[in-house]
Amino acid sequence: MAFSVVMPALEMAQETGKLLAWRKQEGDRVTKGEPLLEIETDKAVVEVEAPADGILAGIRAETGADIPVGRTIAWIVAPGEAPPVESDSAAPAARAALHAKTAPSQTGATRAAVSLAPSAKISPKARRLAKELGVDVATVSGSGAGGEILAADIQAAASAPAVVEQTSGSIEVPSSLGRIMAERTTQSWTTIPHFFVSREVEATALNQYRERVAEGIERSHQFRATHTDVLVALTARVLLKHPRLNASWSAEGIRLHDHVNMGVAIAVGDGVVAAVIPNAHAASLVEIAVQRREVTERARAGKLRPADISDATFTISNLGMYQIDQFSAIITPPQAAILAVGAIADRVVAVQGQPAVRPMMMLTVSCDHRVADGARAALFLSDLAEAIRDPGKILQ
Amino acid sequence: MPERAMPERELTFAQAVREALAEEMRRDSRVCIFGEDVAEAGTPFKVLSGLVEEFGAERVLDTPISEAGFTGVGVGAAMTGLRPVVDIMFGDFLTLTMDQMVNQAAKAHYMSGGHWKVPMVLRTTLGATRRSAAQHSQSLHAWFSHVPGLKVVLPSTPYDAKGLLKTAIRDENPVVFFEDKMMYKLKGPVPAEDYTIPLGVADVKRVGEDITFVATSSMVQVALGAANMLEKEGISAEVVDPRTTWPLDEKTIIESAKKTSRVIVLDEGYGRYGVTAELAAVIAEGAFYDLDAPVKRMGAMHVPIPFSPPLEDVTVPTEETVSEAARRLCNKS
Repeated sequence: MAFSVVMPALEMAQETGKLLAWRKQEGDRVTKGEPLLEIETDKAVVEVEAPADGILAGIRAETGADIPVGRTIAWIVAPGEAPPVESDSAAPAARAALHAKTAPSQTGATRAAVSLAPSAKISPKARRLAKELGVDVATVSGSGAGGEILAADIQAAASAPAVVEQTSGSIEVPSSLGRIMAERTTQSWTTIPHFFVSREVEATALNQYRERVAEGIERSHQFRATHTDVLVALTARVLLKHPRLNASWSAEGIRLHDHVNMGVAIAVGDGVVAAVIPNAHAASLVEIAVQRREVTERARAGKLRPADISDATFTISNLGMYQIDQFSAIITPPQAAILAVGAIADRVVAVQGQPAVRPMMMLTVSCDHRVADGARAALFLSDLAEAIRDPGKILQ
Repeated sequence: MPERAMPERELTFAQAVREALAEEMRRDSRVCIFGEDVAEAGTPFKVLSGLVEEFGAERVLDTPISEAGFTGVGVGAAMTGLRPVVDIMFGDFLTLTMDQMVNQAAKAHYMSGGHWKVPMVLRTTLGATRRSAAQHSQSLHAWFSHVPGLKVVLPSTPYDAKGLLKTAIRDENPVVFFEDKMMYKLKGPVPAEDYTIPLGVADVKRVGEDITFVATSSMVQVALGAANMLEKEGISAEVVDPRTTWPLDEKTIIESAKKTSRVIVLDEGYGRYGVTAELAAVIAEGAFYDLDAPVKRMGAMHVPIPFSPPLEDVTVPTEETVSEAARRLCNKS
C-alpha cells in the first residue's frame, strides 16, 4: 500500500509551504518517523517525518518550490511497488494552483490532494472512461473484488451529478482551516481507538470560586475570568497526578509529559482551533485567564502564531455557553485525551436522601485506549470532580 | 406454392469428417488418405469407415506404424502432385512427425522460391478425459501454431468440421487439422451439399453482453455449457470460436473483448506458452483500453494427463470451473 507524503499545514492560515530540501532521495528506503524533507513556512523551518516505512518514490516537488498545503509531493511505497498515478483531471488544476499566488483559497487542487485514501487499482477501461467522461478517479470508490475501480463505477460517478442537481443543495468549498480540520479529525477518528467516560459534578463551589476570583481579576485587569479559565487551571493540576491522560501514543511507546500544555478549543469562522496555554499546571489563574483571553482574540482575528497552537498535551472543549448538557469530543493527535465540558444547569439531585436543586455540570473525557484505559480515565475524572467541588484547595 | 422447410439433417462429428473426405475424394482424384488403420479398420474412432470400400486400397492406404515415415511420404506425395490427407491416430504421435512437418512441409514453398508446394492435410486428434493416459491424451496444436508455414484448424462442431476440412484439402499449403476425439459422437446440423468455410474466420457461437469466452475445439462446447449455466444467473456470456489458430481472426476476438470488457480464453492445450497465452496477448494488445478485468486463461493443468479418472477430470476446464471463473471475473461470485 502506498502512503502519500503531503505538504503539511503547520500554521493556521498557511496556504503553501516552501520545500527547502529533501533529506532522502528517490528510491531510498525510509523508516516511519525519519526526517524526510525540510520545509519553510512563514514562521519556521521544520522537518517533515516519513509517514510510513518503505521506499521513497514518485517525488513530484522540487527544492525551492512553493507547494499548496495538503498536496501530495511524494509516496512511500513497498519495495517493487510503483507510486500511484494521480488522475489526469486533477493534475492541471494542481499545476494551476501552484502558480495561483493571488488566489487565497484553491478549489480543486488541494481539495483533491487532501484525500487520505491510498490510490486504488483501476481497470484500463475504467481509466479510459474516466478520462472521456471527466471523472476524477480519486473521488470514486471501486466495486471490484479487491476494491478495484471498474467501468461501472466510473459510469455511475459520471451520472451522479445529475442526481445531485435533482436533490438541490450547494457545494461549500472549505477554507484551508476547514480542510485541515476535516483531515485531522478523520485521521484521529479512524486511527485512534476512542472511548468515553462521563461524570456529573456539582458546580456550586466552582461558581462561587469563579465569582470571587473574577472580581479580583476584573479590578486588576478589567475583564472577567471565565469558568473555562478555572477549569483549565484545575484540570492542568489534576493531570499531573494522571500522566496517562497527559501523554502521547508514539511508535516507541507512550510518551508521558512532565508538563501540561493545555489546549483550549475555540470556535472560529470556519471551524475550531485549539489555542495552547503552555505550562498551565504551573501558571496562576490570573496568568491563565490573561493568556487565554489574548489567544482567543488572536484566534478570532485569524492571527494566531505558530506557538499559539503548538505542543498541546491535553485539550479542553467547553460548549457550556451553547447550553449543551453533554457531548463527546474527538481527540487531537498526538494527545491521548480531551475533556468535553457541558453547561452548568440547575438540576434536581439527591442530597442526603432528599431532592435538592443544585447547579450541575457534565464532564466527558475522550481517551485513546492505546494510552489510557477506563479505570485510569475514571480515576482522573474522580480527582477532577474532587477539585471542582473545592477549587480553592488546589488553587490556593 | 409455399416453400417446404427441409428438416435439418444432423450428422455426428465423425460422419461430418467422413462426408467431407468422401466428397473431396469424389471431386478430386488426387485426394488420398494414408495412415495407421485407416482402411478396413476405419481408424479406432471409426471416422473413416466405408471409405476404403468406395475408393479402394490405393487411395485409402494402411501404413506401418511409422509416423515419421508416412508423414514424409505425404509431404513428398503433396510436392509431386497428390493431395494427401495423412492420418495421425493420436495427436500425441505428432512428436514423430515434427521434422517432416516443421522442417519440410512448412519450409518447402519458401525455400524453393515458390517452386514447390505442399498441399497436404495432417488429420489428427486432441483432448483428454478418454481414460487413455499420458501418451494418448495430449493437445499439442500449439506446437504447430508456432511454426510459420503451417495452418492449424480446430473445428468444434460437425458443421465446421465438414466445411473446414474441405477447405483444408483444397488449400495449397500444409494444414494440420485437429479433431477432439471426445467430440466424434457430437451431433449437429450438417448440410448435404458442398460447402466450405474459409480458414481464418472466427465464428461467434453465442452472442452475449457481459463476458466473452474465446474457446477452441473441445472447449467451445464447455464454454457453451458454462454460458447456459450463467444465463440463469443473469450473466450473459458470448462464445467466440476462432476455428483456426493460424490464420487467426484477431478482429472478431478483439471486437468481442471490446464489447464485453471481460474475457476468459479456453483451450485444452497447456496454458503455459500455449494457445491461451497467444490469444490473451492478442486481446491485451487490441482491447486493452476496453478491458475491465484481467484476461483469464484456462487450459490443461501443467501435468502429464493422469490415467486415474478422478485425477484426469480435474486437469481440464469444465463447465463448472469455467462458470465459476466467469462469476469471479464479473464480480458476482
